Amino acid sequence: MLELDGLTKRYGDTVALSNLSFSVRPGEVYGFVGANGAGKTTAMRIMLGVLAADAGEVRWQRQPVTFETRRRFGYMPEERGLYPKMRVAEHLVYLARLHGLDAPAAARAADELTERLGVAERRNDAVEKLSLGNQQRVQLAAALVHGPEVLVLDEPFSGLDPVGVDALAGVLLERARGGVPVVFSSHQLDLVERLCDSVGIINGGRMVATGTVAELRAQEGTRQLVVTVPDAPPGWTSGLPGVTVVSERRGEQVLELADGVDDQQILAAAARAGRVEQFSWRQPTLTELFREAVSEGDQDEAGAGPVRQGAVA
Amino acid sequence: MSRADRGAPRGMVPLVVRREISTRVRERSFLISTVITLLIVGAVVAIPAVVNSGDDKISVGLVGNTTTVQSALEQAAKVQDVTVTVTSYADEAAARSAVEAGDADAVFLGTDRVLVDSELGGKTEQVVQTAYRQAAAADRITAAGLDAAAVSRALNVPPLAVTAIDPPDPDSDSRRGAAFFGVLLLYFQLIGYGVWVALGVVEEKSSRVVELLLATLRPWQLLTGKVIGIGLLGLGQLVLTGLVGIVAALATGVVDVPSGIAGVAGQVLIWFLLGFAFYACLYAALASLVSRQEEVQNVTAPLSVLLVGSFFLALGAQGSPDSGLSRVTSIVPPFSTMVMPIRWASGNVPLWEVGLSMLLMVIAVVLLIRVAGRIYAGAVLRSGPRVRIKEALAAGKDSDRAVVRS
Repeated sequence: MLELDGLTKRYGDTVALSNLSFSVRPGEVYGFVGANGAGKTTAMRIMLGVLAADAGEVRWQRQPVTFETRRRFGYMPEERGLYPKMRVAEHLVYLARLHGLDAPAAARAADELTERLGVAERRNDAVEKLSLGNQQRVQLAAALVHGPEVLVLDEPFSGLDPVGVDALAGVLLERARGGVPVVFSSHQLDLVERLCDSVGIINGGRMVATGTVAELRAQEGTRQLVVTVPDAPPGWTSGLPGVTVVSERRGEQVLELADGVDDQQILAAAARAGRVEQFSWRQPTLTELFREAVSEGDQDEAGAGPVRQGAVA
Repeated sequence: MSRADRGAPRGMVPLVVRREISTRVRERSFLISTVITLLIVGAVVAIPAVVNSGDDKISVGLVGNTTTVQSALEQAAKVQDVTVTVTSYADEAAARSAVEAGDADAVFLGTDRVLVDSELGGKTEQVVQTAYRQAAAADRITAAGLDAAAVSRALNVPPLAVTAIDPPDPDSDSRRGAAFFGVLLLYFQLIGYGVWVALGVVEEKSSRVVELLLATLRPWQLLTGKVIGIGLLGLGQLVLTGLVGIVAALATGVVDVPSGIAGVAGQVLIWFLLGFAFYACLYAALASLVSRQEEVQNVTAPLSVLLVGSFFLALGAQGSPDSGLSRVTSIVPPFSTMVMPIRWASGNVPLWEVGLSMLLMVIAVVLLIRVAGRIYAGAVLRSGPRVRIKEALAAGKDSDRAVVRS
C-alpha cells in the first residue's frame, strides 16, 4: 500500500500542501483531481522525492519511502521532459538502466513498450522529431520502462487524442491489474470517473473528499430527479410539498426532494400535468461532485481564517 | 519482474558518463570542431616547413672564366648544408633569361658581379657571398705571390673553446614554443568544453528531463557524470591534437622534438585536468541558475573574463617568465592553469613552486566541487527566472538534507 501521511509543504507564506493524506492499494487506480495550483503536482513531486516535504511522510509497504524505494517508482512529471536529441529507444534504455536494469533487460523493455504504445517505428528517431502526441507516449514509456512497483503520473492524458488516451489507459489498467498502485492527476474528470477505482479531490492543498466515486456520491446525498413533461403548463410542480426546482428548461425539470417525499407522488402529479417522457433519478457526475467539494472547501476555508489565499489561486 | 536483478545505485555515474560521450561524439558540432582544430594544428606546424623548404636547393649560374668561383660555391654549399647546382651560361642574355625563368637563383657575371631576379637573400645569399669572398681572397693571395694553400691552412683557426658555468638549454626555445602552443590549446579546450557543460546543464533544465533523472539519481551523480564525460571528450581531443602536432612537426622536420617536450605535454595535460575540473564545476553551477540557452552566455560571462585574463597573464609570462607577476599568478588558482605551464617551459621554476601551485589548485577544486554541487542541487529544479546564488545555496542545503533524511 502506498500511503501519504500528513504531507505539508510551504513556500514562504504560501501553503502548497496542508496535512494531506491518502492511500492507494496495490492494483488500485487513484484519480487525483483539483483545480490548477491546488497542490497535485507538489504532492506528486514529494512522492518522488524531487521535493522535500516540510512535514509528513510517504510510505510504501509500511516503510517510509527512501531514495532506494523511489528508484522502483515510475514517474511522469507534469513538465514533460526528455532529451530532445536522443533517439527514442536509446533514451528509454538509458532511463531503464538508471533505474537498475541490465542492458539486455532494458533493451527488451524499451522494445515492448514502444510496440505497445504504437511508437515502434519511431525507435531510432530523435525525440524532438516526434509529434507531441507521440512524445507523450514516449514519456509514458519512460515512466514504465523499468517495470515500476508504483506509478505516479502527473496529467498523463493532457494533449492526447482519443486513440492515444485509449492506448495509454489500456497500459495503465494493465499495470494496475498486475498489482501496481497507480496515482494520476487529470482535469478530464470523465476519464477519471471511467478509469479510477478511487478519487481524491484536493483544494487549496487539502484533501476535501476522497473515496470511490460511489462513496462520494453517497456522501454527497443529494440525488436529483429529472422529469420531462413537454406539454405541461409551466410551474406544475409549484404546489408540491418538499420539492425544490433546480432547473427548468423546455418541459424538463430537475428537482430535489426533501427527505421523506415520495417520488411516486411526483410521478402521479407529472402524469396529471401531461404526457411523461422521462422520469429518472440522476447520479451526480464527478464534475458536479468536484464543484460541490471545491466550493464547500472554499467555504470552510473562509470560515477558518485568512490563510492560504495564495495556494488557491 | 524480479526485484533481485536491480542493482544498487552504484554505477550511475558511469552510465551518465557514457551517455554524455556517446550522444556528443555523434553531434556534428563536435566532429567539425575536432577537424578544424586538427587542421589548424597541422597548418601551424606545416606552414613554416613549406615556406622554408625552397631554400635547401639552390641553383647558381656562371658566365665567363670563373673556375675559382665554381669550386668556392661547392665548398660553401657544403658548409651551409644546401645542395647547389652550378650551370654555365654562354653570355649575360642567356643568364638573364635563365634567372627570369626561375631556372637559376643567381648568376655570376665574371667574378665580382651577380645577377638575381629581385634580391639576393636567404641561403642563396649566404652561399653566394661566401663563395665570392673565398674566390676573391684566393685570387688576391695568388696575385701577391703567396701560396694560397699555405695561407688558407694558416687562417683556418679552430673555434674558440667556451666553458659555460650555466649553459643555455639548447631545447629551451622549442620547449617554450611548444608550451605556448599547449596553453593556447588549453585555453580553447577550457572555454569550449566549459561552455559545453553549461549548455548541457541548461538543456536538461529547459527540457525538464532533469526532474525525471533526479527521481533516480542524486544531483551530484548527474553533475559528476556530466563533467567527467565532457572532460574525457576534451581530454581525448587535446591528446589527439597534441599527437598530431608532434607527428606533423617530426614529419616536416620543422623542429626536432626536444627532450623536454614530453614534460611540456605532461604539464598541459595535468593543468587541463585541474583547470577543467575547476571551470566545469563553475560553468555547471552558474548554468543551473538559468532556464534558457539564451541566458547561458550572460550568466557565465565572469568565467570567460577569468579565462581570457588567465590567457593574457600567460602571454605575459611567455615574455618575462621570472617577473613577480608571473611568479605569483603561476601559483594562485585558477591563473596557474595557464601561467604555470609557460613558466615551467622556461626551465627556471623551482620544483616547490610547481608543487605548491598544483596543491593550491587541487584544494580550490575540492572546495569548489562542494559549493558548485550545492548550488546545482538547489537550482537545477527551479525553472523560470534566474535563481540567485544565495537562494540556490540555501535550497541546495535543504535538498541535501532531504535526501539524507528520507
